[in-house]
Amino acid sequence: MAKLTPRMRNWLEGLGAHIGTATKKGFPTVIVVDSAKVEGDNIVKFQLADAQVEQIKQNIEENPRVALGPGGLGSIRAAYQFKGSARLEGNTLIVEVNEIYCTKPGPEAALRLDVLPYESIIKFENTRWRDTGPPK
Amino acid sequence: MKLPKEIVDVLKIKEPDDLIVYLTTSSVDGKCNIIPSLFTDVYDDEFILIPDLFAVKTKINLNENRIGVVTIAYPSEGKKWALRGPCGHIEWGVPDNYSFQGIRAGDVLRKWGDWEEREPFTSLPEDIRPAVIAQRGVIVLKVAECYSYEPEESGRKIS
Repeated sequence: MAKLTPRMRNWLEGLGAHIGTATKKGFPTVIVVDSAKVEGDNIVKFQLADAQVEQIKQNIEENPRVALGPGGLGSIRAAYQFKGSARLEGNTLIVEVNEIYCTKPGPEAALRLDVLPYESIIKFENTRWRDTGPPK
Repeated sequence: MKLPKEIVDVLKIKEPDDLIVYLTTSSVDGKCNIIPSLFTDVYDDEFILIPDLFAVKTKINLNENRIGVVTIAYPSEGKKWALRGPCGHIEWGVPDNYSFQGIRAGDVLRKWGDWEEREPFTSLPEDIRPAVIAQRGVIVLKVAECYSYEPEESGRKIS
């Protein structure tokens, strides 16, 4: 099971995410939410507007797999990609993250992080970034 | 579709860290992948170009399912656009006359195959600059539709 680090939580909660969904045949639709709430080790909750629910409802019903990229400056400063399984409860999109990747352009792109020991993920972050979340 | 001038101007090469976009692709059975890019340009007002810098999973998806979505990540104020359409990659080594959605590989690679000539990566802040530059080719998205991702009107078509 994936476990988000404090830095990952802070960026997701502070700036939300671009959320990639697709039909079961792979036709993609992206929505963007500007904040999130992280619960437990790997649950990310997004509050959606009605129009966003309408846009992705069918996709989530037929194919719950989603990919998340941190929003705003997080797209490059918090170079993570989170993949998981999503469900809608009313206007809340609940994502259980089960894969975490590095998206820093270059040779580390696509490096899978959640398979590393948790301490190694923290060390990986500490040697690449000085911040612990988005600027206040 | 031809993109409105406002969108072309945002996506055209200017300064290296003036715009960040996401490119979302999917496997043929619906597993998405989303990657950021600091670099975009526009060809013929309807093709979005992105250098291929280690976009491994994106290319695996595009090899089996040629569609993608570009969304503006930063700065997004007044630019909350999602641009979707046929998407492929033109790699160094393909014949000049290889064509994707009407554009020739030779034309793309001659002009954008060495992106750094047009937009120097060295001017990027060190902590976000790729450690090694090894451009494999150019990712091309022909915009077929543009929709707003503003939450309250998400999905509304922009002509």
